[in-house]
Amino acid sequence: MHLTSETLERAVEHLSKLPGVGRKSAQRLAMHLVKQEKDGVLQLAQALIDLKEKIRYCSNCFTITDNDPCPICRSAKRQRSVLCVVEDSRDVYVIEKTNEFKGGYHVLGGVISPLDDVGPDDIRIKELIARVNSSSEPVTEVILALNPDAEGEATSFYIHKMLSPFGVKVTRIAHGIPMGTELEFIDEATLSKAFIGRNAF
Amino acid sequence: MIVNSIRLENFRNHEATEVNFAPGINLITGRNGMGKTNLIDAIHYLCMSRSFATSSDMYVVRQGSSGFFIEAQLSGSIRSAFGLSCSYSRGEGKKFRVNDSPLERLSDLIGIVPVVVLSPDDKRLTNEGPAERRSFLDAMISQVYRSYLTDLLEYRRIIRQRNRLLSMRNVRPDLLRIQLEPWNQQLAKSGAKIIERRRNVLARFARFLEDSYALISGIGLKPSFEYKTIAPVPEGADETHIAGLFAALIEDNHDKETERQMTLFGPHRDDLVFYLDGMELRKFGSQGQHRLFALALKLAQLAYFSDTLDDLPVFLLDDVFGDLDPAKVKVLADMLNAHTGQAFITAANQTPFEGLIPFDTARNRHFSVTDGPQVSPVSAG
Ligand SMILES: [Zn+2]
Repeated sequence: MHLTSETLERAVEHLSKLPGVGRKSAQRLAMHLVKQEKDGVLQLAQALIDLKEKIRYCSNCFTITDNDPCPICRSAKRQRSVLCVVEDSRDVYVIEKTNEFKGGYHVLGGVISPLDDVGPDDIRIKELIARVNSSSEPVTEVILALNPDAEGEATSFYIHKMLSPFGVKVTRIAHGIPMGTELEFIDEATLSKAFIGRNAF
Repeated sequence: MIVNSIRLENFRNHEATEVNFAPGINLITGRNGMGKTNLIDAIHYLCMSRSFATSSDMYVVRQGSSGFFIEAQLSGSIRSAFGLSCSYSRGEGKKFRVNDSPLERLSDLIGIVPVVVLSPDDKRLTNEGPAERRSFLDAMISQVYRSYLTDLLEYRRIIRQRNRLLSMRNVRPDLLRIQLEPWNQQLAKSGAKIIERRRNVLARFARFLEDSYALISGIGLKPSFEYKTIAPVPEGADETHIAGLFAALIEDNHDKETERQMTLFGPHRDDLVFYLDGMELRKFGSQGQHRLFALALKLAQLAYFSDTLDDLPVFLLDDVFGDLDPAKVKVLADMLNAHTGQAFITAANQTPFEGLIPFDTARNRHFSVTDGPQVSPVSAG
């Protein structure tokens, strides 16, 4: 279907590229924005620009942050000897909400998936090994908190294997995570239990 | 489980059909091509997310429309009354709902309404290749164990991931080995789950098969089967043991699999070999024995479900009475009369059932499908 305005059409096209937004929803969103006050729309536009201009990745743990290093890496209250390995920054947010974990994070930025052309070198496994290997901040435990699906499991296995020469304790969250459930969708209570009941790999 | 009513929109040749079923035996008669099979295929589609009569969703949509809708009102033991619907549109795919709440995964659907179908296609079970028998086995087990389907989908995903790695041309052999390792381990673990579950279910299934074959054949031949998987698995071996066997097999065949660029071993290659009195059916069985064996497999599935599940399965019999001899028809009819769950039969006419199954009762009902298609109850007498 063609819209009567090329400008609107262009906005719809961009909006419909967002995850979970179909063409119909994109049209609804665009029409909604057209009807909004100019200020509100400008603020939204600025927020979107800031996403690209102000947000960076923490050079230590690779989570999304405004300031590098991120607040978690800067905090004096966090144990630096324990690292929790997650797939992306959303997982950091989910785990932080449980208040159960007081160590640092390592965000891989993906999981191994040959079908998506993602190999071990395409995610931050080398960086993890470097952190474990560094003498300045000794790491004693690495907790693997990846999704319990095929790709998450394969990635956990690979990391475990790569870390084995360093004598670091490798554990994984395990309890109560239903098969095939994405980490994001687990409620906090379940995830808290998962942390307490973590197993040696 | 009872299907109290069904409503179809643009499903195969049904543009708009609504039928209230009886809780016992529902006989649906009509000329060929009228849409008898399509009516019970819609029930199957709601239970299993696929047609039993055609392989592609494309053919399920009525010609000239862009999607279809099926909705049924059901009653069971856990949910006493609920609605189950499926809407499909080209482009957006299908969406299942229980009482308006969407089901997220296929494994949320399979097993809600257990179903067993008898159809002329059953002869493929004994005549065709191993894939037919695996899909019979998988459909049966997924309806009993919800986790089985999840495990199976995960296993298939691991195979696809692994095959992708195996087919990569530009990876150094030593690096390929390192990258394969996590997938080998996943494959062994996940495959062992499938094998273990198939073994356990089949061990129970054997008894039902013997009973069913005896019932339908009336002859003293003993049916049996051999479950052929990755390797002979010792009696009483557990999942860990099987995973160990599988892992060793993968390791031993590393060169062969990298050369062929695909996963050559695993439960995706499993088969069932059927025997009658110890003689392999495929090699020595007559056409009649093949047909009885296939029929017995389905009846055994019905018995196994009835014995295991909270809800009795919905039993669909598509066009199977036409070419059975009167003695077998009698056996099936007796079985249907004794079956306390709901059944749906399609047939050209009522003749085979006269004097065997009464349709003028509160439990049973006879429908005829005429041009339109129009589905209407046939009043007794
Ligand atoms: Zn950080």
